[in-house]
Amino acid sequence: MAIKGRKIFQPGIKIPDMKYLTEDKPIEQMPAPKTVYISMSQGIGAAAKPIVSVGDRVKKGQKTGQADGVVSANVFASVAGTVTAIKDIQNPNSKATTKYVVIENDFSEEEEFLPPLKEITKETIIERIREAGIVGLGGAGFPTAVKLSGQKPVEMLIVNGAECEPYLTCDYRLMMENSDEINKGIRYVAQALGVTDIRIGIEENKPKAIEKYKKVKDFQLFSLKKKYPQGSEKTLIAECARRKVPWGKLPIDIGVVVINVATAFTVYQAVEKNIPLYERVLTVAGKGVDNPRNLRVRIGTKTQDIIEYCGDINKDAVKIVRGGPMMGKAMHTVDGYTKKTDSGIVVLTAEETNTSKQSACINCGRCAKKCPMHLMSMKFDEYASIGRFDMAERFGVMNCLECGCCSFVCPAKRSIVQSVVLCKQKIAAKKGGK
Amino acid sequence: MAKIIVSDSPHIKGPRTTKGIMIDVIIALIPAFVMGCVFFGVKALFVVALACVTSVLTEFVFLLIQKKKISDILKEFDFTSLVTGMLLGLTLSSEVPFYVPILGSIFAIAVIKMLFGGTGKNIVNPAIAGRIFVFIAFQSVMISGYVLPSINAITSSNQILGGATPLTSMLNGGPNLSNLDLFLGTGVAGCIGETSKAALLLGAIYLVIKRVINWKWPILYIVTTGIMAVILDKFNLSAFLPSILSGGLFLGAIYMATDYVTTPSTDKGCYIYFTALGILTAVLRYATKIEVVSFAILLMNLVMPLLNFRPRAFGEISSWQKFKQKLSHWQSRRAK
Repeated sequence: MAIKGRKIFQPGIKIPDMKYLTEDKPIEQMPAPKTVYISMSQGIGAAAKPIVSVGDRVKKGQKTGQADGVVSANVFASVAGTVTAIKDIQNPNSKATTKYVVIENDFSEEEEFLPPLKEITKETIIERIREAGIVGLGGAGFPTAVKLSGQKPVEMLIVNGAECEPYLTCDYRLMMENSDEINKGIRYVAQALGVTDIRIGIEENKPKAIEKYKKVKDFQLFSLKKKYPQGSEKTLIAECARRKVPWGKLPIDIGVVVINVATAFTVYQAVEKNIPLYERVLTVAGKGVDNPRNLRVRIGTKTQDIIEYCGDINKDAVKIVRGGPMMGKAMHTVDGYTKKTDSGIVVLTAEETNTSKQSACINCGRCAKKCPMHLMSMKFDEYASIGRFDMAERFGVMNCLECGCCSFVCPAKRSIVQSVVLCKQKIAAKKGGK
Repeated sequence: MAKIIVSDSPHIKGPRTTKGIMIDVIIALIPAFVMGCVFFGVKALFVVALACVTSVLTEFVFLLIQKKKISDILKEFDFTSLVTGMLLGLTLSSEVPFYVPILGSIFAIAVIKMLFGGTGKNIVNPAIAGRIFVFIAFQSVMISGYVLPSINAITSSNQILGGATPLTSMLNGGPNLSNLDLFLGTGVAGCIGETSKAALLLGAIYLVIKRVINWKWPILYIVTTGIMAVILDKFNLSAFLPSILSGGLFLGAIYMATDYVTTPSTDKGCYIYFTALGILTAVLRYATKIEVVSFAILLMNLVMPLLNFRPRAFGEISSWQKFKQKLSHWQSRRAK
C-alpha cells in the first residue's frame, strides 16, 4: 500500500512539470564519443589527483583519478583509448579552472572493472562504494561512502524517487526499466547502514512508478503530492519520516540517510557487476531541442555531442541549462563536459523561460509565503544589495535550499537566489578569514 | 541559434508580474468608479481623471529628470502611479475645486513615492498621504463639500449640498440611514468611491479570486472595527453594521490597507497590523467624531517596519522550547 505523504511541508509551488516531453521515451545508450574530457572534480569535496600520464593507454573503467582525502571520489575512464592530454579547462559557468584528463577513444571497448567481491558485508559494501567513486547523483554530488560510514546511529533509509524538477525524467525511466536492480542497490545500502526501515518517496505525477513499487513488500511507499521542491532532502524527510531536520543540522543528526534512485542503481552495479561509475542516465529536454530523450551517456562527453545526437538546437532556443530548470546552471557555451552530477540538459526557448528584466521589490511577501524553509527571502535580496551580509545571516540565509521558489513566484522577477548565493559566499569567506 | 542567455536559476518563472497585479487592482476599482460617476455625475469623472493624469505625468516628469529614455519609461511603466491617482480621486468629494486632485496627486507621487525611491520604496501609501495632505491644506472644502447623490445626477444639475456624510452625522448624534442604503450607496453623501459598498465588494471578490489580496486581511480589519464600535457604544449591537458600512472603511480596508509596500510581509505581522488598524479606526472615530480611516492607515504604515517579524523557520525550535531549554540549562548550572 502506498501511504500518502504527511503534508508537513506546507508551502512550495506548483509548476507545470513538462515531463510529457520525455516521459515515455526509453533510455537509449548514446554511442561513445571520439574524445572524452574527464573532469577531476565531479561533486562536492577535493578534486581527484590524476594517476595516468599523457600517452598512457587506458581501458574502459580504469581508474584515472585517485580520491584526494576523505570527502573526495575516484574518477574512471569512460572509454578505452589513449590519454592525449591532462590540462586545465575553464568551467562552463565560472572563471575557475579544473583539471581534465582527455582520452582519445579507439573504439576497442576494452574493459577493466573492479575485482569481484569475495563476500558481501557491511564493510565491503562501503569500501566498494568508495572504490567505485559513487557520489550522490541527484545533483549535489556528495560522496556516498562518506554518507554511509558516519559514526552517528541511523534508523531509517529514505530513497528519493520524487524527481520534482520539471522536465527531468531520467530517474523515472530508471525506476521503470531497472527497478529490480535499484531495489537490490537499495538493499545493499540498507545492509551497509544496518537498517531495516526503508522508505521510498515518489511524486504523484508518476502513477506507473508508484504501481511498480506497491509490489515491493519490504519498502514503505509514500506517494507525495506533486509540488516543488518535494524531492529536496529536508522536505522529503518531513514528508516520509515526519521529522524535521533542525536548523543548521544534517539529516544524519536525526538518524536519517537519503539516497537517490540513480545512486542506488550505481551501487548495485558496483557491488554485483563490479562496474565503477563511468556513465549515467540524463534527460535532454526542452522545446529548444528537436528530439528530447533519455540517454545513457559516458561521463566526459561533450555537451555539444549530446545535443547534436538529439537533433541539434532550434533557432528559437535562448538558454542551455545544465541540470533541471529550477536549480540548474545556465551555460554560456555548449562546450561543457558531462559530469557524474549532471541529471539533464535542458534547452529552453524564449516562451518557456522568462527573460523579463527585474524591477523593484514591492514587498508583496509571496516569496516568504512560498519558501519551504519559511525564510524571509526578500530580506536576503535587500541585505545583499546593501552589503549587510551579517543581517542576512541573522535571517537564516545559511539554511536556504536555493530551490528557487522565491524567484519563481516573484512578480518583480528579482533574482533572489543569486543574492542568497552571494550572501553565502561572503559569509563563508568571512568565517574562513577568522 | 539565437543568442544564448546566461542568468541565475530558476530558469523558468511564474506568469505574475507587478504590472499584472496593478492592472488587476485597476479593474477591481472600476465598479466603484462607475457607481461614483452614476451617483455624482460628470464632476466625479472629472476629479478622478484629473488625479490619474496628474499622477502619471508627475511620475514621467520625475523619470525624465532622472535622465531615463522615453522608450524605457514607457516599457517599464508599471501602472502603480495610475493606481495611486485613481485611489486618490476616489477618496475625494466630487465637489472639490480642480486644484485639489492635482495638488494631492503631485504631493503623493512627487514627495511620497518618487523622493523616497520610486515603486516599492514609499514608507506610507501615497494615495493616503495625498488625501491627508489636501484634507489638512483645504479643510473647509474637504469637510463641507459632500453632496447627496441622485440617480439622474448626470443629466440634472440641481444637486443638494448635503454638508455631512452619514458617518459624520451619525457620530455627532444625527439621524441614521438604513443599512441597505448604506450598502448600496443610494442617497448617501460621501467621497466618489466610498459610498457604494456593493461595488467595492465586487472589486474585492475579483481581487481575492485573482489572488492579489488575501481575503483574511480586509475582513479582519472591518470586523475588528465593528466590534470595537460596539464595545465603545456600550455593547449596543445595532452599532455594528452602520459603523462598518459608513465612511471609507471598505475602500480603505480593501484597497489601501492591503497595499503590499506598506503592510508586513508575513502572516504573523499582518494579524497584528490589521487588528491594530481596526481598533485604531474605531477609537479615533469615537474620539474625534470625523472619518479617520486614512489617518489610521497612515499611522499604522509608519509602525509597519516594527511588525515585520521573522516567521519560525522550518526545523527551528519554538520560542517556548527555547525558553525551556534555557531554563533547564540554568537549573542544571544552579544544581552544580
